[in-house]
Amino acid sequence: MTGVLQGLTMVSVAVFATAVVLNRDPLPQAMVFAFFGMSLVLLFLVLQAPDVSLSAIVVGAMAYPLMTVLTLAKIRQRR
Amino acid sequence: MSTRTRLLLFVLPALGVAALLVWSFTGLPSFGHYPGPYGNVVNAQVVPVRHATNAVASVNFDFRGVDTIGEEFILFAAVMGTSALLRVQRRERQEGSSDDRDESHPAAETAGAVQVICMALVAPIVLLGIYIVVHGHLTPGGGFQGGVILATAPLMVYLGGRYIVFRQVSPKGLLDFGEGAGAGGFVAIGFIAMLAGAAFLENVFPLGKASEVFSAGTIPVINLSVGLEVAGGLLLVMWEFLEQALVVRG
Amino acid sequence: MHWLVPLPVFVPLTVAATMAAGSFVFGRRVADVLALLTAVATAALCIAILIHVGSGRDVYWFGGWKPVKGVALGISFTVDTFGAGTATLVAVLMVAAFSFSWHFFDETVEHRFTILMLVFLGAMVGFSLSGDLFNMFVFFEVMGVAAYALTGYKVETRAPLQGALNFAISNSVGGYMVLLGIGLVYARTGALNLAQIGRAIGGHGPDGLIIVAFTLIFIGFLVKAAVVPFHFWLADAHAVAPTPVCILFSGVMVELGLYGAARVYWTVFAGPFGAHGDALSHVLLGLGVLTAVLGAVMCFLQQHIKRLLAYSTVSHLGLFLVGFALLDHSALGGVAIYVMTHGAMKGALFIGAGILLHRLGSVDEEALRGRARHMPWTGLLFVFGALALAEVPPFGTGLGADLIEDAGSKAGYHWMPWLFGLVAALTAGAVLRATARVFLGLGPREVSRFSADGESQEEDESETQEDRGRTPKSMFIPAAVLLAACLGLGLVPGLAGRAEHAAVRFQDQHGYAATVLDRAKATTPPAEVSPAKWGGRLYGLGALGGALALAAYALFRNQIPEQVRRAGRALSLGSAFVGLRRIHSGDVSDYIAWLTLGIASVGGLFSLVLR
Repeated sequence: MTGVLQGLTMVSVAVFATAVVLNRDPLPQAMVFAFFGMSLVLLFLVLQAPDVSLSAIVVGAMAYPLMTVLTLAKIRQRR
Repeated sequence: MSTRTRLLLFVLPALGVAALLVWSFTGLPSFGHYPGPYGNVVNAQVVPVRHATNAVASVNFDFRGVDTIGEEFILFAAVMGTSALLRVQRRERQEGSSDDRDESHPAAETAGAVQVICMALVAPIVLLGIYIVVHGHLTPGGGFQGGVILATAPLMVYLGGRYIVFRQVSPKGLLDFGEGAGAGGFVAIGFIAMLAGAAFLENVFPLGKASEVFSAGTIPVINLSVGLEVAGGLLLVMWEFLEQALVVRG
Repeated sequence: MHWLVPLPVFVPLTVAATMAAGSFVFGRRVADVLALLTAVATAALCIAILIHVGSGRDVYWFGGWKPVKGVALGISFTVDTFGAGTATLVAVLMVAAFSFSWHFFDETVEHRFTILMLVFLGAMVGFSLSGDLFNMFVFFEVMGVAAYALTGYKVETRAPLQGALNFAISNSVGGYMVLLGIGLVYARTGALNLAQIGRAIGGHGPDGLIIVAFTLIFIGFLVKAAVVPFHFWLADAHAVAPTPVCILFSGVMVELGLYGAARVYWTVFAGPFGAHGDALSHVLLGLGVLTAVLGAVMCFLQQHIKRLLAYSTVSHLGLFLVGFALLDHSALGGVAIYVMTHGAMKGALFIGAGILLHRLGSVDEEALRGRARHMPWTGLLFVFGALALAEVPPFGTGLGADLIEDAGSKAGYHWMPWLFGLVAALTAGAVLRATARVFLGLGPREVSRFSADGESQEEDESETQEDRGRTPKSMFIPAAVLLAACLGLGLVPGLAGRAEHAAVRFQDQHGYAATVLDRAKATTPPAEVSPAKWGGRLYGLGALGGALALAAYALFRNQIPEQVRRAGRALSLGSAFVGLRRIHSGDVSDYIAWLTLGIASVGGLFSLVLR
């Protein structure tokens, strides 16, 4: 059972990571990145690393998308 | 270099690098078979020697605390750098734009439901953040995770359409202070240990009883300091960005 | 375990944090004074540690976690002569940089520049002293983040951000490689302390994991060291970074990349690769020669003085790598002396460029033609810098070069003096040419030689707005002192012998591990030290002659008879140079493509020869 879960989460990390890389437009990319972050959170959780999982939540769900969106807002304002 | 040439230059070597990596991975221990001595030694020491029930926190803030100071200063340098790089635009705007930014702020159109939900979330978020920070040595979490959560509380105020309130609850001077004091506090705890005649960052505070909030010596104090630094730093970056992104939209 | 050891890292960091916390309390001058005092104190602490370490090693266990049965629980700073010496160089150059920036920038917003410089200082000292692989990586990253922001500090124009981005992206890739390599090593050994890893993998021959881990960590550090083909970011960053930042970049940060590679090699990988020393040596020699020659040629082709100096740094890093590649204690001692004196000399030359920028608002050789006639002292600064570049006695650079050349000749590489002479002639010739043009107005007017389309045009904007009528003493004195130090180091009796002994300790893997893990007293294994001599000095004079000839050629080639010129054109060097310039396109995507090519080829070679 854990083996299956581990396999599933790993595959999902790979899939979402590829999706992030293939997305060339920054705004959708930021959203896809949030999913990637979520898949990392699950992976760490399944691998029994709750501390890292919690860090991944705050980075992937809050800090990173926030910074990206703010930067994009700033770039657009410049144009 | 044309895109085509570059791609040609890149693809073949990239395959080579991939092959090298695969070759190296064949030498890894098989999945789930941890060979090293470190984890076992630390696990055996954390509770009896340090009275901390979260082994990860003990490694981060005690055994390998100097790494964490370094990581904290990566964040510190990044925040200081961001604020330095964004500074010119601030000057530009002071020259160019009108003073009525507070009134003209567009987020005033935020829907009522969003405002209510955001405001209602502020108190629980603050509580959760503080909880995660102060229980870092007992359960998963700590200054970093809790600090980020704390930083989102003023953000909720902002999302709720209260930019003026956001600026009131997070004034620039206070954010600067939190950022600097948090980073400096961690180092100061290291120096306190030296003044007590021990090594830098040695855990010289009273250890208390394991699994209580006041235990594990310096670890919870460092967590508080890191929480302050992370929350202050993130808010400082947000402050710098919002200062600009907002006004021009208005 | 001496209480001094952590201070030079954490004192600057504390001051930086305090300055941030009270940024509204401190005035500009208070912050400046505080920063200068901190740098001076750090330099004093580093020197004290250097003296304290003497001919041994000091191991400082943070948190008091001493190793148990050969397992390191905490993090150690393992300080030896080279580590403390490098830290001293960092701090001394930081003093010069702060002194220079006294009249720098008309305003500093909330002291961000000063704060970032102090963090940069603490991080570089920490990197020099650390004895833990992951801790080295952490300080490497702190150093990087501070450096990226400092590079882009002059955001008023677009170029600094572009230069900072190229720098940040290239070096982040390097950082990831180091991290991946550390992950591989940790998975194998469960250890992060250099000594412990070295012991754990020492007994076995290398396999795929060890070779690839070595490749990743080594190349990751070589990206910082700007070794070809990982060097592209360096000139972009130097061209746009504020002058005090350039002093540190060229003077010591780039060298720290090589220091890290050397430290990791001799504490960790010398064990498994010991039997393949010759093969490794050949690969690294190839990289070093390529870097030295390419950097020197690119240096001669520049007319932006900061870029010119930056490429001369690339070229010298090539020479240092050649010295390292000999895997010999005399050569390594020579590298150490050369790095010290190079740092002093390059710092002085960058200050010279900064003075030009301050007084005349440009560092473009052509734009400045003859405009600095009224600044003889600054001109003299450049001339002495060129003499040091030419390895002329008694400048310490010559002493370092001598040791490396001798070790090379002993190992059968008799071409080595020619390589050093070529680099010296090209780089010194470039500086002499620029000096003659800027300070004497010599030579014909030339508009953008070898202009490459992709290269970004920097808009030189003066960094200062105060009185431009004279050169402030706070700028000139540090440059003069640094040059004097470069000269003085060459005259210290017995310096070469001491450097060689320090190199022996640096290379002594078993002794290192024993001091760290078994608390054994550090000893210097017996080693043959080359006798003090000045024979190789003729090369220095020869190189100076070559430099003068090259500078004269660049300045007066219009007066050369037509037949000779036609014969020269038949060599078609011109188009080769244009191609070379075009490769340095300023586009970071290109840089990453080259970087990947570099990893694959170096990794491929390692995997072939090290097994």
